Amino acid sequence: MTDSISFLAPFQYEFMIRAMIVGALVGTVCATLSCFLILKGWSLMGDAISHAVLPGIVIAYVVGVPLALGAFCSGLFCASATGYIKENSRIKEDAVMGIVFTGLFALGLILVSKVEADIHLMHVLFGSLLGISESDVIQTSIVAGVTLLVVVLMRKDLLLYCFDANHARSIGLNVRVLHYVLLSLLAATIVASLQAVGIIMVIALLITPGAIAYLLSDRFGVMIWIAIGSAVFSCLAGVYVSFFINGSTSGCIVLMLGIIFVLAMIFAPKHGLIVRGRWRKSHVKPWSDQENAAKPT
Amino acid sequence: METWLIPFSYTYMIKAMMVSALIGGVCAILSCFMTLKGWSLMGDALSHSIVPGVSIAYIIGLPFSVGAFVAGILAAGGMAFVKSNTRIREDAVIGIVFTTFFAFGLLLISLFPSNVSLKSIVFGNILGISDEDIWQVVWISGVTLLVIGLKWKDLLLYCFDANHARSMGINADFLHMLFLTLMAATAVAALQTVGACLVVAMLVTPGATAYLLTDRFSTMLAIACTMGVMSSLVGVYVSYYFNGSTGGCIVVLQTLIFIGVFVFSRKYGVLSVWLKRRRVIRTLSKA
Repeated sequence: MTDSISFLAPFQYEFMIRAMIVGALVGTVCATLSCFLILKGWSLMGDAISHAVLPGIVIAYVVGVPLALGAFCSGLFCASATGYIKENSRIKEDAVMGIVFTGLFALGLILVSKVEADIHLMHVLFGSLLGISESDVIQTSIVAGVTLLVVVLMRKDLLLYCFDANHARSIGLNVRVLHYVLLSLLAATIVASLQAVGIIMVIALLITPGAIAYLLSDRFGVMIWIAIGSAVFSCLAGVYVSFFINGSTSGCIVLMLGIIFVLAMIFAPKHGLIVRGRWRKSHVKPWSDQENAAKPT
Repeated sequence: METWLIPFSYTYMIKAMMVSALIGGVCAILSCFMTLKGWSLMGDALSHSIVPGVSIAYIIGLPFSVGAFVAGILAAGGMAFVKSNTRIREDAVIGIVFTTFFAFGLLLISLFPSNVSLKSIVFGNILGISDEDIWQVVWISGVTLLVIGLKWKDLLLYCFDANHARSMGINADFLHMLFLTLMAATAVAALQTVGACLVVAMLVTPGATAYLLTDRFSTMLAIACTMGVMSSLVGVYVSYYFNGSTGGCIVVLQTLIFIGVFVFSRKYGVLSVWLKRRRVIRTLSKA
């Protein structure tokens, strides 16, 4: 086999093509939401909700409703329980989240080991992008499509809420509703990504693309496209690389994101380490040179 | 033999109970400091970040604690570096670093499946713990307890109010590193019992529960420690009958205790606050 053919080898398999398409779709949804989350400071929330969906999945399996529904309810339950306990006790929010999501996750673990289900725990946790079934693809596409649609329709309100909730309230927006809309979107995104990347790796997809974009741009419109671009690229490249090294697909995707983040951190035109270093250097120059070096390049 | 004594007739059950009680106690003591400091996310992050270290250690045959510890310190260093050099908020930085580390660990495990079991790292494997690993856990716990015992006043002041600590001439940066190191060490130990995903429960829940029951730090330590030890013992015991995840049983038990305290605590419980409020309203409406 010549080199050019082996480069294209992954594309000969239908499951690889499907994995790449689903990965790109999931990457798009997660990246879009991650821009809002990074502004809102809710990175922790993605972590908590993604762990908390586990018992919902098992219960949905037992009851016989779609797994996505169970996962969604369980995720929202985690968020509202966290809110309730936080408001009614003197424990800090981060600790409350830690308690609630680990409790739910542990409950899920016990349920999984008790229920004779053909839920493959490792697939729920780490995804099985390469073995994703037709029905999972449809389910993922629907949830992802609806989530994207809601985000697009409500993007201005959501953006204002994430950026400055008090301002949003003062101009008459219903902040409570927006809060729950964002939570529901978050839960829905996690549900959509469940089959593809699993509940642990989705945390990275919900944080890193937004952070990369935040380093590269100050305009929200640009940020979203950068985030989507980097997430889609890492999903495609991650799937592609994992074919050759025969390693965990979701692991490759997340590592790819991590690498892009490091690159962005070093080379970002405005906020990168190199530019910052140069800026700092230009400011320790003698007084006479200060006029020339007044602005960061 | 009485049926409820059956678990005690197996050496591995006794071992598992002893080891997890020890880990539960140590984690609980640290959790009191964590609750005050507000570093729960850090605990979660460190426990995920040590996974690549554990895998590398198992692959090249080092003691798992060494690898885990190095990975934990690297992750903490990475977080500090990214945080001080970018404009990204701390919570997002922590998320980025720990997911990247975890993904690296996951990849390593998938590349060398025969050396490490992903399951035992993610869910813990206390029932099958090897004697070698027990010694590492005992060693880690001993050192952690010793350090806390020697430095607990400084640590407490630092967790409570870092600025005040600094103004008193205490080296806050040193304490920061010390605290992170202690956390990494206990996370490594707790990984054995409950696994990477649930370590944070052992590091948060006992302290938070105790915080709802008392205002005195020494009482808090005692309550948290008792709770950590008891829930580990009972959790392992119950998991024998459940035939289910040991880590899951321990953590669910802790969460149940927390919920109970959250509702019924005499001082800060939801119920007592509600009753107090009603009493006030009644006296006001009578007047």
